[in-house]
Amino acid sequence: MEQSRKSKTGEKNGVLLEVKDLHVSYGHIRALKGVSLHVKKGEIVVLIGANGAGKSTLLETILGINTPESGDIVFEGRSIAGIPADRNVRDGIFLVPEGRGVFSSMSVLDNLLLGAHHNMADADKHLKRVFNWFPVLEKRKNQVARTLSGGERQMLAIGRALMSSPKLILIDEPSIGLAPIIVNDIFKILVDLNREGYTILLSEQNANKALKSAHRGYVLETGNLVLEGSAEELREDPRVREAYLGV
Amino acid sequence: MEIVVAQIINGLSLGSIYVLLVTGFNLLLLVAMIIHFSYPQVVVFSMYIAWFTMKLTNNSVILAIIAGILSAILLNLLSAPLFQKVMKKREGVDINTTMVLSLGIGMIITDILSHGFNKGLPIAFPKVMVGDKPIIELGLISVSNGQIYTLVVGIIAVSGLFWLLYKTRAGRAFRAIAEDPNGAKLVGLPIFRTALGSYAITGILGGVTALLLAFLLGTTSPGMGDQVANKVLAVSIIAGLGNLTGGLIVGLLLGILEALVQGFISGSWANAIAFVVMLVVILAKPRGLFGMKL
Repeated sequence: MEQSRKSKTGEKNGVLLEVKDLHVSYGHIRALKGVSLHVKKGEIVVLIGANGAGKSTLLETILGINTPESGDIVFEGRSIAGIPADRNVRDGIFLVPEGRGVFSSMSVLDNLLLGAHHNMADADKHLKRVFNWFPVLEKRKNQVARTLSGGERQMLAIGRALMSSPKLILIDEPSIGLAPIIVNDIFKILVDLNREGYTILLSEQNANKALKSAHRGYVLETGNLVLEGSAEELREDPRVREAYLGV
Repeated sequence: MEIVVAQIINGLSLGSIYVLLVTGFNLLLLVAMIIHFSYPQVVVFSMYIAWFTMKLTNNSVILAIIAGILSAILLNLLSAPLFQKVMKKREGVDINTTMVLSLGIGMIITDILSHGFNKGLPIAFPKVMVGDKPIIELGLISVSNGQIYTLVVGIIAVSGLFWLLYKTRAGRAFRAIAEDPNGAKLVGLPIFRTALGSYAITGILGGVTALLLAFLLGTTSPGMGDQVANKVLAVSIIAGLGNLTGGLIVGLLLGILEALVQGFISGSWANAIAFVVMLVVILAKPRGLFGMKL
């Protein structure tokens, strides 16, 4: 009762996404056991957790890949639990998958245009902006994606998300497999994008970097949220310091 | 020498038919993720519909063309929900199940054709469609209008398909699903709707192939689909399952090989020799000459 009242006023408080007591299972494996969180417009929120904590499951469930067993997902004041991914993408949620998920046999340009699949009318406009953000993608637009470096692929995956003019960008482990210097670039881009007005929910094992860029964070352990707070609070929290910052 | 040239012309037109069939088969494999073994049966069914339409309409070629193409599209679209239902139940791509389903559809089509039309006897298309003499005759070399249609329309259809795949929004989605179905889902491509598009397009392709076969051979029988289906599957495997360019090359080569065997040895050996050659190739290159694209 208390929760449903919150969701109606959610949009007014600037809450773009609200996840309520979400349970997700794969067969007998319970991947999420009652996760609740929210993301406000204009925020970068980070989900911290080890491998297998349920970060990808959570992001993919928000996108609409998995159907939750119970609980709710509210986006812009509407419940989207169980709505298929292609509709959520059309409505403004876009995922940058773990490992980038670029189509390696397709050209950079084709990969970007896939992001605009549901809105080809504005594709040229968005393409110009993406090339402004990532000049290297314009230089390589006719190359097949398999010839790109890891950092360039991540830029391509982020650029593809921007092509859909998303209201919420979900980014799954942006730093995985990238050299530290590239990771810095990527996080700088995320902060810049956020300043431009993009709302971002990202998952990370690299807690240090992520907590320096984000406004708030949640710590996920084996399907449960164990901590939440501002990025600063989490950075100072002894449990986070020990488990995720290696201090 | 003249025989060689003549048989290569025959082979190219026969090969174009294989190319069209393999391309349709591969497209369904790549985008809808099914093994539609009986796709050639759908094509033969459309030949029957074209023939039947001519009978009803006092040999109208135009109406036969329209009915042939429409029936192939319709048959393909009607089978789509069956295939997709099976795949949904199994949660993901299940090539074995879809193959069994396709075999069943093929058997039903063959049975309908052998009971429902012309008492199961082979049918012959009227002269207005087939034409009664070759357009070009130079000694042993003769070219029928069926052969010219097949070559010209075959080239147009395959280039049209490649244009669609590489230059359009739908084609981009097709290629994305073909490369990585899960990744395609993650970027918000509507998988079912896009797959349905591939059923429609292979329907058009199948209808066109049916008419070209009618022009080229002038005749068909209920059992033709079975025979061709074996070859189409073999060509696709030899080229590399799902490899469109490979299918193009191997389809043409098979046509030429069969025609040369017909010209120099005997028509009745064409199938056996073609399969022996394909057997050797597949033993040497199990993933196909040009590599699987699955």
